[in-house]
Amino acid sequence: MSKVAEPTAAQPPPARRRVAHWWATAESLLEQAGERLNPILVKEARQALKSRLFVMTFGLLLICAWGGTIVGLAIIGPEAAFGFHGSTMFAVYFVILAFALLVIVPFGAFRSLAVEQEDRTYELLSITALGPAQIVRGKLTIALLQMLIYLSAISPCLGFTYLLRGIDFLTILYVLGWLVLASLGLSAIGLLLGTLTEQRQLQVILSVLTIVGLLFAFGFAIGLAMVVLFELPLPFSEPYFWTSSGALVSVYLSYMVLVYLAAVSRITFASQNRSTPLRVVMVVQHMLLTGWLAVLAIVEQIGAPRFYATCMILLVLHWYAMGSVMLGESPELSLRARRRLPQSFLGRVFLTWFNPGPATGYVFALCGALGGVAMTGIAAAAASSLGIGARRGPGPMPADRALGVLVLGVLFLCYAAFYLGVGLLLIRLLRRWARIDVLGAALIQVVLVLLGCGLPPVIQAMSLPWRSQGWTVLQVTNFFWTLSDFLDVGGFPPRTGELLVLLPSMALVVFALNLRAIRREIEYVRVAKPARVADEDAALAPPPPPPPRPSPWD
Amino acid sequence: MSHPMIELCGLHRFFGSTRAVDDVSFQVHAGQVFGYIGPNGAGKTTSMRILATLDQPTAGDAFVDGFSVVEDPDRVRRRLGFMPDYFGTYANVDVAEYLDFYARAYRLRGPARRQAVERVMGFTGLDVLADKPINGLSKGMKQRLCLGRALVHDPPVMVLDEPAAGLDPRARIELREMIRDLAKQGKTILISSHILTELAEMCDVVGIIERGKLIAVGTVDEIQGRGRRPHNVVEVAVLDGLDAVGNWLGRRAGVSAIRLDGQTVRFLLEGNAEAEADLLRAMIESGFRVSAFGARRQTLEDVFMQVTQGLVQ
Repeated sequence: MSKVAEPTAAQPPPARRRVAHWWATAESLLEQAGERLNPILVKEARQALKSRLFVMTFGLLLICAWGGTIVGLAIIGPEAAFGFHGSTMFAVYFVILAFALLVIVPFGAFRSLAVEQEDRTYELLSITALGPAQIVRGKLTIALLQMLIYLSAISPCLGFTYLLRGIDFLTILYVLGWLVLASLGLSAIGLLLGTLTEQRQLQVILSVLTIVGLLFAFGFAIGLAMVVLFELPLPFSEPYFWTSSGALVSVYLSYMVLVYLAAVSRITFASQNRSTPLRVVMVVQHMLLTGWLAVLAIVEQIGAPRFYATCMILLVLHWYAMGSVMLGESPELSLRARRRLPQSFLGRVFLTWFNPGPATGYVFALCGALGGVAMTGIAAAAASSLGIGARRGPGPMPADRALGVLVLGVLFLCYAAFYLGVGLLLIRLLRRWARIDVLGAALIQVVLVLLGCGLPPVIQAMSLPWRSQGWTVLQVTNFFWTLSDFLDVGGFPPRTGELLVLLPSMALVVFALNLRAIRREIEYVRVAKPARVADEDAALAPPPPPPPRPSPWD
Repeated sequence: MSHPMIELCGLHRFFGSTRAVDDVSFQVHAGQVFGYIGPNGAGKTTSMRILATLDQPTAGDAFVDGFSVVEDPDRVRRRLGFMPDYFGTYANVDVAEYLDFYARAYRLRGPARRQAVERVMGFTGLDVLADKPINGLSKGMKQRLCLGRALVHDPPVMVLDEPAAGLDPRARIELREMIRDLAKQGKTILISSHILTELAEMCDVVGIIERGKLIAVGTVDEIQGRGRRPHNVVEVAVLDGLDAVGNWLGRRAGVSAIRLDGQTVRFLLEGNAEAEADLLRAMIESGFRVSAFGARRQTLEDVFMQVTQGLVQ
């Protein structure tokens, strides 16, 4: 009996099998990558794919881009073949893209957190294992994803502008790069605003303010882009341009990180140390600012006193703004935050100021401002003594102008110490009756500055003997008027000696009045972890076994 | 394990002059089902929200598995499944995606996540609705979904705030069965509800809160007893002279909480069946024409009505 061969399943050809194998590998890799993605990104991407709003916005962007192309080409006419109309068409596409990236995406980021709070889904999200940083990062990533989708939708049009001539590739990249950065920054701000309040009425007000702010940013970006495209072409061949751009990008990114961390800290639970990461970023920003100041001064040989004075003012303003927010922190340090307080002498001397608290924040901001004044003062003195200024500016800075820069910095620092100190006193007083948070603290500073700078001129204008006089001692709290002469006149205005006695005295008195609060906050000491926490930590990460004792015979 | 799974220690929560929770302390041990009952506005939800780390106490602390909700909320959250009295659902998301999202949010990865979602959908009976958009679900199904969300990371402690509110009888019974199953699995459950008969059936311990104060805690029998002999609810129907019966009962020792209703008088009687028999004989000997005499043990509802005063703030 002959054996009949059993029918075998038809095997696909080897090429198809290889493709199937690659496909399976790619699928498994994608799945593994998907596991690592932020859950919020996954959820919101799924939602967006089913959302009518997203489809409508995306469709509208495409329609506007096509419409813009048709209308633009109709206007340009046959000149498109031989003229230089790339800039004009790029401007059209920029307006369309900027609206999507600077208005729709950041507002979407703001609303996504705000809606979660309104619908109370945020509460459920917050009690999962997702950390606040993951939540904010997820929302920011989805904003980035939207940006990429809009950019990819309009990219053929942008390529088309290059073919039309009249605009170079670098300008397109540079402008788009800033647009993406601006969109990311605004989205981060949108997320921060979304965390500010849970009250519906305040959310409505915030929504309106956010829209207005975003439209303003949109208008500003269009204005800037038009200047770059049609008035002042970017000097790509100048090394100074790239240095300044690098400085601008790094400083911008540092503020973006600060805003991101601020949003994270707003949604972090109360007992967690929410301040130290922000203070670390502030120090990094300070180092960045002073670093770029040094780079610009040395590489570009800048010797103009106004440059150093401006840098100094920016640094003090940075610390003043940060200080005004830090004053709103709670003076009570949670037991959880106290578990990680520095213990060594040096740690307590240098790191205590990184601990949360309004008084430590006050001292931290003053130390930063003092560091800024000292560093720019030293830089100005060095520029003067080394004769820097040959390439830019009129020539080397005279020694008295360098001293003038330092005096200006000291006086500005005194103002910061005075206003922040008075703010801290007020907040301590108000906290007996009301809850003051970081927003309230910042608002108190705004009111104080308005009163300190706005009231004296009004009083002087109403007083008959003083009305006709210029600066009087009544204006001592008005730093705009008091310090403007230093910038306008340069050197030392006649009242310098008087101010150098009066302002430091005011600052010292206010500082002394706050000493009790400072002392209270620096007296916190480390506490041990609760036994249950220590047990769990030990169970999760058992301590490494002790190293084997070396044999005395080895 | 020496510590209780849930512990409230001198918990206070004030909203301005309102004392939503005023010095509440109790413990729930592993595997127990604790019924948290009280009138509307008594402070149940507030204390549950504090336990779920969604609110901060004004004073005092609460612990879940030995971890403070104030100092270590992150550790508490890993151990706790919270089902609030609202749904908290998203638009444009279906059932499976919703549970998958929460499984991811609880750091479940790969097969563990898929298994968790399948387990929860199977337990809640939502597997047949996996692809249905959440917004199209009925209230009962949404409640199941919320229970599933709270269960997806398999927490040892569950806090359920009014899980049966607004459900039809069938959905309520099904939900009750699910909670019973959870209790059988050894989970520690803190549950609040207005449907006291259901709570009585499934709770080991009951806490009664009114105007922010915990006024009684223990088993139903313990609360009923509260330092005295057990009481039974006695209902007596007489053919005439109900007022006279009321007056007569009022003079007898061991009788309290007398309520006259139509031809029936209802009261609490201290003692056991012998006391009931003695009372019935005495009534008949006194000439009352008793047409019906019934006695039953106090229900949770009776205890609740007896303990609370109906005060709101």
